[in-house]
Amino acid sequence: MKLASLASCAANFVFVLTLLAVASGASSNEEKVTQFFEGSETHTNNWAVLVCTSRFWFNYRHMANALSMYRTVKRMGIPDSHIILMLADDMACNPRNAFPAAVYDHPRKTIDLYGDNVEVDYRGYEVTVENFIRLLTGRVAADTPRNKRLLTDDKSNVFIYMTGHGGEDFLKFQDSEEINSYDIADAFKQMWEKQRYREILFMIDTCQANTMYSKFDSPNILSIGSSKKGQNSLSHFHDYDLGVSVIDRFTYYNLEFFESVDSSSKQTMADLIAAYNTSLIQSDPGVRTDLFARDLAKTYLMDFFGAVQNVKLTTEAFPIGKSK
Amino acid sequence: MAALRDRIRTLLGRRSDPKTIISVQNDRRLVLPATEISQFALDQVVPFTFYIDTPMTVTVENIERMAQKLIDKQRTHDLRVRYTAQVRHKTEVPDAPGHYTLRLREAAVGAVDFGVDRVAHVSVSEADSKKRDAAVAKLVADIVAKEERELREKKGARRALKYAPEYSVTFTLLNEDPVGGAAVSWDIEQAADIFVRPFADTLRPLAKLAVSTQILHHAGPPPVTPLAHDNGTYLTPDMLPHFANSPWWNLASTDPIAPTISFILYVPALRSQPLRIEGSSTNAFVVSQWGGIAIANLPGTEVGASVVISRDELQKYFGIFIAQLRELVGIRNDTPLIPGTRVSLQRATATGISSWELDALMRQWMVANHQTAITTLQSLVRLVESMENMVVMDEIKVQVDQSLSALRSIPQALSSGNQLLAFELAANASYFAEGAFFDPSMVSLLYFPDQHKYAIYLPFFLPVTIPLLAAIKKAIRRDSPQNDSKPDVPDDKKNE
Repeated sequence: MKLASLASCAANFVFVLTLLAVASGASSNEEKVTQFFEGSETHTNNWAVLVCTSRFWFNYRHMANALSMYRTVKRMGIPDSHIILMLADDMACNPRNAFPAAVYDHPRKTIDLYGDNVEVDYRGYEVTVENFIRLLTGRVAADTPRNKRLLTDDKSNVFIYMTGHGGEDFLKFQDSEEINSYDIADAFKQMWEKQRYREILFMIDTCQANTMYSKFDSPNILSIGSSKKGQNSLSHFHDYDLGVSVIDRFTYYNLEFFESVDSSSKQTMADLIAAYNTSLIQSDPGVRTDLFARDLAKTYLMDFFGAVQNVKLTTEAFPIGKSK
Repeated sequence: MAALRDRIRTLLGRRSDPKTIISVQNDRRLVLPATEISQFALDQVVPFTFYIDTPMTVTVENIERMAQKLIDKQRTHDLRVRYTAQVRHKTEVPDAPGHYTLRLREAAVGAVDFGVDRVAHVSVSEADSKKRDAAVAKLVADIVAKEERELREKKGARRALKYAPEYSVTFTLLNEDPVGGAAVSWDIEQAADIFVRPFADTLRPLAKLAVSTQILHHAGPPPVTPLAHDNGTYLTPDMLPHFANSPWWNLASTDPIAPTISFILYVPALRSQPLRIEGSSTNAFVVSQWGGIAIANLPGTEVGASVVISRDELQKYFGIFIAQLRELVGIRNDTPLIPGTRVSLQRATATGISSWELDALMRQWMVANHQTAITTLQSLVRLVESMENMVVMDEIKVQVDQSLSALRSIPQALSSGNQLLAFELAANASYFAEGAFFDPSMVSLLYFPDQHKYAIYLPFFLPVTIPLLAAIKKAIRRDSPQNDSKPDVPDDKKNE
């Protein structure tokens, strides 16, 4: 009798233990789900500002640079409403374009960058230094439409990409004016004052590009430039049908890296920077990390290039309209 | 000399108009009240007033004293914003935010039931009047201290949108595939009128909601393909962040400034139905600071049919949308106290937001606007002082003055118990401060490097300066005392 009661006692005990184990297992699963949603303090939206500052047919490659970055960023998930695309000239409908309404970044012409779904926000002569500074600082005229405003807040990660002709501490706009690194540094300082960004990734592909980020001193800015002071950034492919170079080396090798990345990728900025090959790019890309708080090996590419949204399940509906 | 310099500068400006970086618009520079702005403190005292309505004997002074002590004890950090409690007997209770009535009655068990309006029914079990006072004081302190704590911790701030005077709310019905399924439409006008309009009307003193609706008939597949299950399809939690990112779903707003809140009622293609979200009983989720998505599985639809989602079916989905809208606006479900065995909250089923929740939201926004106004004004002063050649036009000074006068009136409004006025003043202060900071005229020439100065002025002055300097040198030498000793004797006379 005693043994039987002991055995039943033990069985009860084991039963209770398994119940507890199952219960804790279930709650840890729930914990994992809630942890996924609550997460750590992070950004909630992503913006991209892509600027091509050159006009004229022989600067086709700068337009292709900006458009291929636009394609990449859209593919990773940033919606058009959060992308500001500034193109200083129109290559697709240029009278000298042998392939009308198309812009290519490779002589093989596999991808048409100017496909069905392109939304250019600032075009032609609207791309000026003043408009760019106004866009960044938010001091746009009252009648500016929504797609021409940078409606960021303190939880936005902003990816700013600039390409064109540049030199030491300046970047040429429209072949008639210049923006210098002090102006961009001041615009970022204004943005930080008014909490218009959480983190900025500033990427620039021009000659002597690394000088453009030398004057920044606002926090949380990660800068990548294509060539150092005294060095030129070179173009890559030359297309004999179009008669111009179609892409720049630095941007091309960036895009090549992004071909292996999709919106669920966990690759980091450290991977991207490690993939830069100086002999292929034929200039020395530079990275400035002293203003950036996080470790590059823990900064995901999707933090800047994609739009991973912060979601939470709705657990119960509100009893609206239900009379008691 | 200065006038000459200015004239040359304007001459240059006109000649190089497309070349100048950012032109200086006006050569006047007004003085901002910098010292006054820098002295503005972020400190605020927000008083709550509780009115006791009871046949039992209570000493309101005791209750107030004990409650204040408890609130101060629960304050762990030195907060800039302090909430205080005042306790009075019920006389004329104004129906305004910040004034709450506590109806006490005797009962066996102590409990509190918060109504939809600013009334709480409190059951007190203590017979001894001192213990009764202590119990009421604890209740008052719990209510006030909880809100103060939430203000400090800013929970849910990541999900909720910041204050704006107007929000643009869109309800979209997305039909993924009407060709392979049914054409769907909804009885939205009636539903929005019954479910959303009361909410918008109640929120009107604080913020305006501009509601619009649309139907997207051929939405196309979402960016993530749902995984197949034995009965339908499902989405895992890590697929949800990418769900609302389709470039083909036109959810953009045309309003230039108002923040958008988008709600999507998604009807999946017939082959994917029923589409469930793993771990969710409501099949709905909120996207931080963006909006909410609910999945509508319409069982029993036939291919080629035309389905109208009726008002009664929409009530279920609008229940979800209102819950999500509350979260996105910043309303907490446990206002004013966490519901439990002794605490019950009545849900405002008619409007969607109870007066307690509305008041808490209003106070939260008032404090945020107060802080925004002060920090914006301080940033503005820093900006103007750091750039000597920036213009400060009349309009900016006017806006700064308006913002300051609103800020100055807030403490008076708060101490007199008019929290709604304090909220409006704070909103105005923030609006004018931001208007001044983001004024389009505040963009100026920043960096005029020395090389540019030489490059522009030298070609004008150098060809003129060289002969001028030579002539001056000759004139000085002619008039100098050295030449007196050597009189200017003509050569022919010297050789005599």
